[in-house]
Amino acid sequence: MHLKYESQLREPLVYGDKTYHQVTEDIVRPIEAKPTKLWYVGFFIAVALLMFGVYSVYREVTYGIGQWNLNKTIGWGWDITNFVWWVGIGHAGTLISAILLLFRQGWRTGVNRAAEAMTIFAVMCAGQFPIFHMGRVWMAFFVLPYPNTRGPLWTNFNSPLLWDVFAISTYFTVSLLFWYSGLLPDFATIRDRAKTKLRKYLYGVAAFGWTGSTKHWQRHESLSLVLAGLSTPLVLSVHTIVSFDFATSVIPGWHTTIFPPYFVAGAVFSGFAMVQSLMLILRKVFGMEDYITLGHIEAMNKVIVLTGSIVGCAYLTELFMGWYSQNKYEGYTFWYSRANLFSPYGWSYWGMMACNVISPQIFWFRKMRRNLFVTFFMSVIVNIGMWFERFVIIVTSLYRDYLPSSWSVYYSPTPWEMGFYLGTFGLFFTCFFLFAKYFPVIAVAEIKYVLKTSGESFKDGMDNIEEKGSEEFAHEYAH
Amino acid sequence: MASIREQFEIPAKMKTWAYGLIGAGVLAFILGLFTKEHNEFIGTIMYNSLYWMLICNASMFFICATTLAMGGWQVAFRRVPEAISKMVLIFGPIAFLVLIYIVFVDHNHHIYHWLSDEAKEDPILKGKLGFLNPVFFLVWTVLAIGLWALLGARMRKLSAEADDAALRGEEPGKSFIWRNTVTASLFIVWFALTVGSTVPWLWMMSIDAHWYSTMYSWYTFASSFVSGMSLIALFVIYLKNKGYLEYTNQEHLHDIGKFMFAFSIFWTYLWFSQYMLIWYANIPEETVYFKHRVQGPYKGIFFLNLIINFVCPILILMTRSAKRNYTLITFMAVMIIFGHWIDFYQMIMGSIRKDDAALSWFDFGIAAFFIGMIILFTGKALASRPLVPKYHPFLKESIIHHT
Repeated sequence: MHLKYESQLREPLVYGDKTYHQVTEDIVRPIEAKPTKLWYVGFFIAVALLMFGVYSVYREVTYGIGQWNLNKTIGWGWDITNFVWWVGIGHAGTLISAILLLFRQGWRTGVNRAAEAMTIFAVMCAGQFPIFHMGRVWMAFFVLPYPNTRGPLWTNFNSPLLWDVFAISTYFTVSLLFWYSGLLPDFATIRDRAKTKLRKYLYGVAAFGWTGSTKHWQRHESLSLVLAGLSTPLVLSVHTIVSFDFATSVIPGWHTTIFPPYFVAGAVFSGFAMVQSLMLILRKVFGMEDYITLGHIEAMNKVIVLTGSIVGCAYLTELFMGWYSQNKYEGYTFWYSRANLFSPYGWSYWGMMACNVISPQIFWFRKMRRNLFVTFFMSVIVNIGMWFERFVIIVTSLYRDYLPSSWSVYYSPTPWEMGFYLGTFGLFFTCFFLFAKYFPVIAVAEIKYVLKTSGESFKDGMDNIEEKGSEEFAHEYAH
Repeated sequence: MASIREQFEIPAKMKTWAYGLIGAGVLAFILGLFTKEHNEFIGTIMYNSLYWMLICNASMFFICATTLAMGGWQVAFRRVPEAISKMVLIFGPIAFLVLIYIVFVDHNHHIYHWLSDEAKEDPILKGKLGFLNPVFFLVWTVLAIGLWALLGARMRKLSAEADDAALRGEEPGKSFIWRNTVTASLFIVWFALTVGSTVPWLWMMSIDAHWYSTMYSWYTFASSFVSGMSLIALFVIYLKNKGYLEYTNQEHLHDIGKFMFAFSIFWTYLWFSQYMLIWYANIPEETVYFKHRVQGPYKGIFFLNLIINFVCPILILMTRSAKRNYTLITFMAVMIIFGHWIDFYQMIMGSIRKDDAALSWFDFGIAAFFIGMIILFTGKALASRPLVPKYHPFLKESIIHHT
C-alpha cells in the first residue's frame, strides 16, 4: 500500500488548510491580475539599466576594447570576472531541479521554478561577456567548429575556452528544456482558467496542447527523469570547464588541481545566495509565505553554509600549498599578492574571505538561518564575496607575473566596463520581471504533488499513524 | 503480526572465516618479516592500515552526513554503518602504531624523506619542515584519530537511545534529532579538517616530499568514501541473506547502489581533474608524480585502477535493475573495495618503491588480516545491540521508503 506519510518532526512544506484548487488560486492569481505600480517601477528601472548596458556595449563595439581599462598584463579584468560570476549564479537552478530531485528533497518544489528561471537568465547574461570580449563581435561565429573557407583557421580544440562554448551552450539548452517542460502543465492550467481569448490562445500555444491525460503525465515524468539525469553531470561540468580556463595555464594562483570541484562548490554557493535574495522578495511581494516557508529558507541557508565552508576549505588548501610547495611564484601570489592585506590588492582577498568564508558561518545557528533580515543581508554579502573571488583570482594572478618588467599598474575599470556589467543586471531583471508577471513563479503541479504528504493540514491527520509502534506500522504498510 | 529478528547472532561460519583470514594475515606478516625487503614490508602494512581505517571511518561520515541532511531512508539499516565505524577503535590504534613506528622508531627516511638530515639542507624541504616534522606529525595524528574515535563513539551512544520507548512523541524526538545534529556537525567539521585536508597531506602526500597537489586530500576522501559505501552494502546484503534487517529491502539497496555509482563517478571526476591539469601544464615538478605511474612499472596498475573504479561502475551500475540486484551489488562492492585498495597501493607504494610494482602474496596476506578483523569485530558490534533502532523518529519513513 502506498502511504502518504512523513515524520511529524518535519516542518510542513505548505502551510494553511489548502486544497488543490486553493493552490492554483494562490499561485496563478497574480498572473491574471493587472501589474501593480511597483512592478512597473521595477521593470522601468531594469529596462533603463539594460539600455545603459546597450550603450556601453555600443561604445565598446564601435571604438574597440580600448574602451575598457585592460592592459597587456591584465588582459582579463571585469569582463571575465563578470562572466564567471554570472555563470556561477546560473548553477543553483539546475542543482535544485536535478540533483535535489535525485536526493528527493521535497522542499525543492517551492523554489525550483524561480531558481530555474534565474539560471537561464544568468547564463544569458554570462554569455554576453566572452562574446563582446572578442572585440570584433561580428566574428563570433568563428568559435563554432565547422568546415569553412578560412583555410587553416579552425577552432583550437585544445583550448578550454572552446570547451566553454560547448559546455555552456549545452547547459543552457538542457536547463531551458527542463524549465519549459516543467511549465507545460502550469501553462495548461492558466489556459483553462483564461477569461480572455488572447490569453487562452497564447497560453494554449505555450502549453503545447497539454490535456493532463495519464499518457501526458507518464511522458512528462519520464522526460523529467531523463533531463535530471542529463543535467546532473552538466551542473558539475560547466564550472569545471570554467575552472579549466584558468587551471590549465601555468600562471601562479591559477594552476592548481583543486580548482574544478572548488569552482563548482563556489558556483552553487553563489547561486543559492542569488535564489535566496530573489525568493525573499518574491514571497513578500506575492504573499507566498505559505509556499516558500521559513523551512525552505532554512534549507537553502544550510546549503549556503555547507558550500561556503567547502569553498573556505579550498581557499585554505590553496593558501597552505602556496607555502608548502615552496614554489616562489606560488608563494608570492598567495602570500604577497593576495593574503597580504597591505599589498595593492590585499583588500580584495580579505573582502572575499570575510564575505565567503567567515560571515556565512553564522548559519550554523538555527536562529540566524530563520531570520529573514539576516538571510537577505547575507545573500547579498555572499554574492559580493563571490564576485571578489573571481576578481582576486583573475587580477591578482595577472598583475604581477613572472616578468617584473611587465608588472602592471593598478587596474580600475572605465565607466563603460562597469556599464556593461550594470547592463547585464538590467537584462537579468528585465527577464525576471517579465517572468514573474507572466509565468507561475511556483510550480503549481509540483506543489500539488507534495501537498498530501507535507501540507500542514494533511500532516495533522497523520497523528494516528505516528502513534503506532514500528512493527505494527511495518506490518500494515510495508511492501 | 510477527515480530522482527532484532538480535544478530554471529554464525559459526562467520567466525571461522574471520579467524582464518586473520590467521593467514598473521602468517603473511611473519613470513614477510623474514622474506620481504624492509621498505616493502613497512609500506605494505602502512597502506593497508590507512586504507582499512579510512573506509571504516567513512561509515561514520555517512551517518553524520545523512543526519545533517535530515535523511530518513537510511534509518532501517543505520546500525550497520554504526557497527562498521566501531572498527576505528581498533584500526585507529593500529594505523597510529604503524605511523609512529615509521617516524619515531624506524626513522624511515626512505618513506618519509623529510625525516632525513639531507632535508635540512634541501632548499625545498627545509622550508616545509614547519609542517613535516615528527612533533607535529605525532600531535596531529593523535588528534585526528582520537577525535574520529571519540565523536564516533558519541554518535553511537546517542543512537542507543533509539532502542528505548522513551523516545516516542514529538518533544523527545526533536531533542534526539537536535543532539544528533550537534555531534554530527562536530564530526563533519573535524572530518573536513583532517580527511578533507591535512591528514592525507601529512600521512601520504609527504612520501613524495617535494611534490604537491591541492586535490590530493579530496581525492583520497572520494576513494575511501566510495569503498566505505561498498562495505556498508556488503554487510547489509549479508544480514539480509541471513534473514535479518526485515525493514531494509531493495529500495534501500537501490539507494546504496546509487551512492556507489555516484561516488565512483565523483572519484573519476577528481582523478581526471588532477591528472588532466598536471598533464596539460606539463611542469616537471608536478609530472614527476605520474611519470613512473603512467609509463614505468606501475603502468598496469594505473590503468587497472581506472578500469575497475570507473569503467566497471559506470557500465554495470548504471541501470536501475543492477542497483536492485543483490548479486550484482555484492559483486560490484567487492570490486570497488578491491579497486580502491589498488588505488591506495599505487598512491603509497608507487611513491615508496618507484621502480618496482610487485603486488604479491604479501599484499593480499596483509589485506586478509584487516578483512578478517572487520568481519570479526563488525560482527561482534552488530551482535551487541538491536539491528533496528526501533524508536528512531524517522524509522517509519525508512520502512515505507521507495525510490
